[in-house]
Amino acid sequence: MSMLYDEGQQAIATESRRVLDARVGKDRLLALLEKTGEFDQAFWDTAVEQGWTALAIPEEHGGLGLSLVELGLVAQASGAATAGAPFLTFGYGAARALIDGSDSAAAAEWLPKLASGEALGTVAFAEGTTPLPPVASVTFEGGKLTGTKPAVPAGLKADFAVVWASAGGKPVLVLAQLAGADRKVVSSYDNSRLYADLTFAGTPASVLAEGDAARALALDVLARMAVVTAHEQTGGAEALLHTAREYAVTRKAFGQPIGAFQSIKHRIAEMYGLVEIARATCIHAAASEGKDNFLIAAADARIAATDGYDTASRDCVQIHGGIGVTWELGLHLHMRRARSLAVELGNLYFWEDLLVEQLTGEAA
Amino acid sequence: MSELEAYRAKAQAWLDSMAPKYARDARRGMTVEQELALGREFQALKYEAGYAGINWPTDFGGQGLTHLHKITYDALEMNYGMPTVFFGISLGMPVPILMRFGLGENKEHFAWVKERVIKALRGEEIWCQLFSEPSGGSDLAGLRTRAEPEGNGWKMNGQKIWTSWAQYCDYGVIVVRTDPTVEKHKGLTYFWVDMKAKGVDVRPIKLAGGDSHVNEVFFDDVRLEDSQRMSPVGGGFGVALTTLMIERYIATDSGGFGPHLDVFVDLVKDLEINGRPALKDARVRSQIARNHAMRAGLESITSRAFQMMMAGMEPGPEGSLQKLVAVRSRQKLSELAMDLQGNLGLDFDPHAYVKEDWGASWLNAPTGRIAGGSDEVLLNTIAERILGLPQDHRPDKGVAFNQIPA
Repeated sequence: MSMLYDEGQQAIATESRRVLDARVGKDRLLALLEKTGEFDQAFWDTAVEQGWTALAIPEEHGGLGLSLVELGLVAQASGAATAGAPFLTFGYGAARALIDGSDSAAAAEWLPKLASGEALGTVAFAEGTTPLPPVASVTFEGGKLTGTKPAVPAGLKADFAVVWASAGGKPVLVLAQLAGADRKVVSSYDNSRLYADLTFAGTPASVLAEGDAARALALDVLARMAVVTAHEQTGGAEALLHTAREYAVTRKAFGQPIGAFQSIKHRIAEMYGLVEIARATCIHAAASEGKDNFLIAAADARIAATDGYDTASRDCVQIHGGIGVTWELGLHLHMRRARSLAVELGNLYFWEDLLVEQLTGEAA
Repeated sequence: MSELEAYRAKAQAWLDSMAPKYARDARRGMTVEQELALGREFQALKYEAGYAGINWPTDFGGQGLTHLHKITYDALEMNYGMPTVFFGISLGMPVPILMRFGLGENKEHFAWVKERVIKALRGEEIWCQLFSEPSGGSDLAGLRTRAEPEGNGWKMNGQKIWTSWAQYCDYGVIVVRTDPTVEKHKGLTYFWVDMKAKGVDVRPIKLAGGDSHVNEVFFDDVRLEDSQRMSPVGGGFGVALTTLMIERYIATDSGGFGPHLDVFVDLVKDLEINGRPALKDARVRSQIARNHAMRAGLESITSRAFQMMMAGMEPGPEGSLQKLVAVRSRQKLSELAMDLQGNLGLDFDPHAYVKEDWGASWLNAPTGRIAGGSDEVLLNTIAERILGLPQDHRPDKGVAFNQIPA
């Protein structure tokens, strides 16, 4: 299963790229790196204004009723510009948990607000080194949450979080408003992701799914967010490919463009391969939404895009030499984003194991 | 069911009916000569059934269908391991080039060409492609085999190498130097040659894997009529490039023409590392996952290229990644499969099938990384043609061939 983009989808890709080119500036992004607890409000205003928050939310809840394909294209454009706020992915994850969860009242309350950009949501599954622990240490008892979720993306500003917790040793997925939680900002190498430790001390929460259904829903939400992120990573890697290529044809050394040296041109050709393979897995995964093989396709995209973005950010800096490591040139925006995206949605050890379990039935 | 799906179903039914006599399992233990005889038989049946020359003009005995029909059939046939390997190059490049450049100015050779085409489609005659030489494979324009005018024709001397199946061939297409005093790519001319002619000497080369499908071909005062010329004098390089570009979208294989990933998983299921199941080992799991992701990407690229062609569009250049990425990874995965089997992996069957056997896949993988464009040349092509990076420094540029420093 793969697909060609139709005209509407191509228009979304072109338009989102155009808007971001016009409105995202490197200076603003560089300044944000040195501030803890702030994010790119101008980008988010653009996202709301362009309707990106509503893209993948069903029409009956005030959204546009489009799919992962369209959201993926916006994420790809955002990734190219190292724009993006964590809500693009994590707000979508929260929306999916509401759409497929059992609390229709919560869905009716929050989904229209997520679509309009009035409310910000996030997802808090991970604990320590595990993106989705078998038994969460955060507990849910008598309608109340207790425990800490460390470094939750978007955690500092979100209005609510979908939390992976345990009730009597069984998994449960709940929604908690964050006004009632303690938030401690985490200073990071990629500050605009708004990481915060969220501590719940008897915070009221409502159930979205329980037991095996909770685990299945959490995995589906994680896989969907991984596909959005994979598009963002592919966009970043593609931007670095173009940057490296431009530099290699203009920069001269030993009397010729450095792109004439095979050590440089082959590195860039390899980068092209990684970008195209990542792109192909993203398209395949987005087109497989809701199908039996979705988890496999999502894991493939996650692995290919993470590898592609990390490698492109390493190699693009290397090709630039000294100028590549300066603050001002800003390639480190991509270096930082490549790493934060690689970690946020679960490292590759997690996704490799998940993929192999799906393929062979054998758990790690 | 779409027309193409119906075509596929019909082709599959036909291949199923042929499999018991001709497919891989039916030929175990056969010599190459026995396989060739069976292959000729199969090829004739294939022609009768309408699966040879699928996208070739009906004027020449083809079926007049689309390129999509052809790759649909080819992808199916690949699953059966039919004995068609002897005809792959013949029907892939030389014969289509003959149809295009071998007719003569006023199509005076049409009847002769049509006879050749049909005999080639039926497996009765085989054509080879005589391009590479000992002095260079990647640097095609640097070739040294020469043809000099003699009477109203030509006299050819020199040597070609790596010519697939030349020992069984009836004809070949060849590029030779007809003028050494001009720039190297301007002094070449394209001919067809009778492989049974006086002065043609074919010597098989045994490859590392034990088989001898490639050859050295020596030409000693071989007579060529001017009617065998398929390009203007000095215009051979253009026809040679056309030959190499003729089939940009052939059936691909994300397994790099080696075993598929499920063959690897099946193997690993029964193995242990330090007393633990190998499938529980993180290193093994990582390799399975990485290979799966990469192959899924290649398959998605193939699937999209197919859909683009169906929509009447030109597929993207990313198709050129297939061989580079797939064969390289096949080589490493084969090594891993051998490692994991330990001493049990030391036995080796030189006749094993490369898509089923890890030893055979490993031993033949280097050929895949060199033939049809080495990894390094493919990377250069991607860098220069797709990304617009500068060409390498070429000291032979603008220099007459006979003035290039040796």
